Amino acid sequence: MIRAFFDNLRLAFGTFVAHPLRTLLTLLGIVIGVSTVMTMMALLEGLRIKVNKDLSQLGANVFRVDKWPQGFRVGGGNRMNWNQIAARPPLTLADRRAIAESCPSVLRTAASSWQPGQRVRTVTTETQPNVFILGTTVEYPDTSGITIAQGRYFNDAEDVDGRRVAVLGPDVADRLFPNIEPLGQEIRLKGRPYTVIGIVERRGKVLGLFNLDNQVLVPMNTFLAAYGKRRTSSISVEAKDAQSVDRAMEEVTRVMRQRRELGPNDENNFEVSTNESSAKSLNELSTVITAATFGVCILSLLVGGIGVLNIMLVSVTERTREIGVRKALGARRRRILAQFATEAVALSLAGGLIGIGLGFGLAALGRWALGLYTAVPTWAVGLSLAMSSGVGLVFGIYPAARAARIDPVEAMRAE
Amino acid sequence: MLISLQGIRREYHVGGEIVAALAGVDLAIDRGEFVAIVGQSGSGKSTLMNVLGCLDTPTAGSYVLNGKDVARMSDDELADVRNREIGFIFQAFQLLPRETALANVELPLVYRGLPAKERRARALEALEKVHLTQRLHHKPTELSGGQRQRVAIARALAAKPSLLLADEPTGNLDSATGAEIIRLFEALHAEGNTIILVTHEPKLAARCPRAVRITDGKIVDDGPGAEVAFRDQATGQLRDEAHS
Ligand SMILES: Nc1ncnc2c1ncn2[C@@H]1O[C@H](COP(=O)(O)OP(=O)(O)O)[C@@H](O)[C@H]1O
Ligand SMILES: [Mg+2]
Repeated sequence: MIRAFFDNLRLAFGTFVAHPLRTLLTLLGIVIGVSTVMTMMALLEGLRIKVNKDLSQLGANVFRVDKWPQGFRVGGGNRMNWNQIAARPPLTLADRRAIAESCPSVLRTAASSWQPGQRVRTVTTETQPNVFILGTTVEYPDTSGITIAQGRYFNDAEDVDGRRVAVLGPDVADRLFPNIEPLGQEIRLKGRPYTVIGIVERRGKVLGLFNLDNQVLVPMNTFLAAYGKRRTSSISVEAKDAQSVDRAMEEVTRVMRQRRELGPNDENNFEVSTNESSAKSLNELSTVITAATFGVCILSLLVGGIGVLNIMLVSVTERTREIGVRKALGARRRRILAQFATEAVALSLAGGLIGIGLGFGLAALGRWALGLYTAVPTWAVGLSLAMSSGVGLVFGIYPAARAARIDPVEAMRAE
Repeated sequence: MLISLQGIRREYHVGGEIVAALAGVDLAIDRGEFVAIVGQSGSGKSTLMNVLGCLDTPTAGSYVLNGKDVARMSDDELADVRNREIGFIFQAFQLLPRETALANVELPLVYRGLPAKERRARALEALEKVHLTQRLHHKPTELSGGQRQRVAIARALAAKPSLLLADEPTGNLDSATGAEIIRLFEALHAEGNTIILVTHEPKLAARCPRAVRITDGKIVDDGPGAEVAFRDQATGQLRDEAHS
């Protein structure tokens, strides 16, 4: 049995060597399918590792109170619709003050509010209208995990007075002040001047989409004065220690329900979520993307499989005489079947291996050229191997069965 | 008795008509015989050889090989009989073009499931019998016609079969090379091999201890080779005279 297997493998290898270009072209579908999956999995896995790491840096003791549910929740669970959520009252600085004052398990709180898609100018230049303006209270660096690379964050006095001071994300700083020291320079938001007092440490992108470095942070009161007082905030709450997180969440929920005069049967009209729940919804999202990627992959494997089917049928036809000779010399049907099935599996497995190599290459390229965080998960390698050999078997069995049925007398007469 | 054929028919359907390539063949051959089969092109010689070699299944009649009824055999059993009992030699050599001479000779032993070492030893022994030990690693395209046919004979011998079947083995060779191949068969016969040889050359048939003449799928003459060849020539001359 094992001897027969190695004989078949040797024969398969001989075929590839005899037709290298044809073999390569046949493999293209499988190579593309497998390398797509590998690259996507590397991206997702890298993202997951990075986000989980980022979230863990924020500290497990922090949770958030929001008007809106976590951005990346997908399907299931939440039966509320958009209109109901939009009709919820905004979270305000007064809510934040109430939480800080009446929740004994809470260490500190921070509020933030935001306006996306803004243009930032200086006298001489300006950014694209894609900068994220964030108004925050002074505790924000502690609860959000940002670090100041240069200069300082604003202080309470600057917030209370609504001073126009700004801390820049590194991308904004690079764009506006490529050649001079940004600290002390003046920028303009909605036409009004702000003094740059700090630069944030670079953090990169989330989901490859949302750029954490393309931000401008200003004091909360300054922000509300400039962008409108009625907007909602997000309130970050840090519990005293890990043991009191659950209690702090209960206290915050009770205070908020009291403030909003909710009856015992009313649902919360606000969201309380921990970083873990954000991580969980990210993982849910990545599951969906994984499934979608597999859809694409299955499609290209199907195309690859049809390539294998086609080339194996050609191969069987071309080698009719050889098959006839083998049968005349005593090869049983199963032996011929196994020979051609082995060849089909080896063929598509070779495609799978090339695809895996290409996937690793693309992941490395993404890391090196685009600065993406990528990591190829081991199970993706195993799955790719299994899928490509499966494709070979499924699409190779029909041509192999045809080869096994060939009549030796007819076959040896064939020219 | 090695071979016993009784009432063997092999029919083909050609465009709604039934063509009988073999129309009732009775034939008995003993172990150790050297039999020539002669007949005109299209008379059914190859069809008979394919039936004898268990490559083709007759439409009717019985074929007992080595005491076993071939009609009762499964597809796998037939493959095993071809592998162990039959050594086939074809007019067109039928060597695998991508494999070396040695690998070609080893092929039936591969299907017998022998380990590589034993395969190699037996193949070398067979190649020695056909005086071809200098060309072990040549591909068929790198060999002359005579050498190719000797590789094919070695391949047939390697499995040490009960029966060598050669269908016009000299048909693609010049007469000098053909004579060489026939001497090889005579030597193999002298060693005790049973050989059935299809040929259209009366001179070759005349050298065989026994010859069978087949016309339109039926055996019309059977006897010592020289006599059959003589009668064949005589009827040929009669025919020619009748035509002139
Ligand atoms: N597959 C086939 N289909 C139809 N007729 C066939 C087939 N094989 C052989 N024949 C016919 O059977 C007869 C005997 O053929 P064959 O045994 O090859 O003759 P020979 O070998 O004596 O030249 C011929 O008339 C041939 O046309
Ligand atoms: Mg013939």
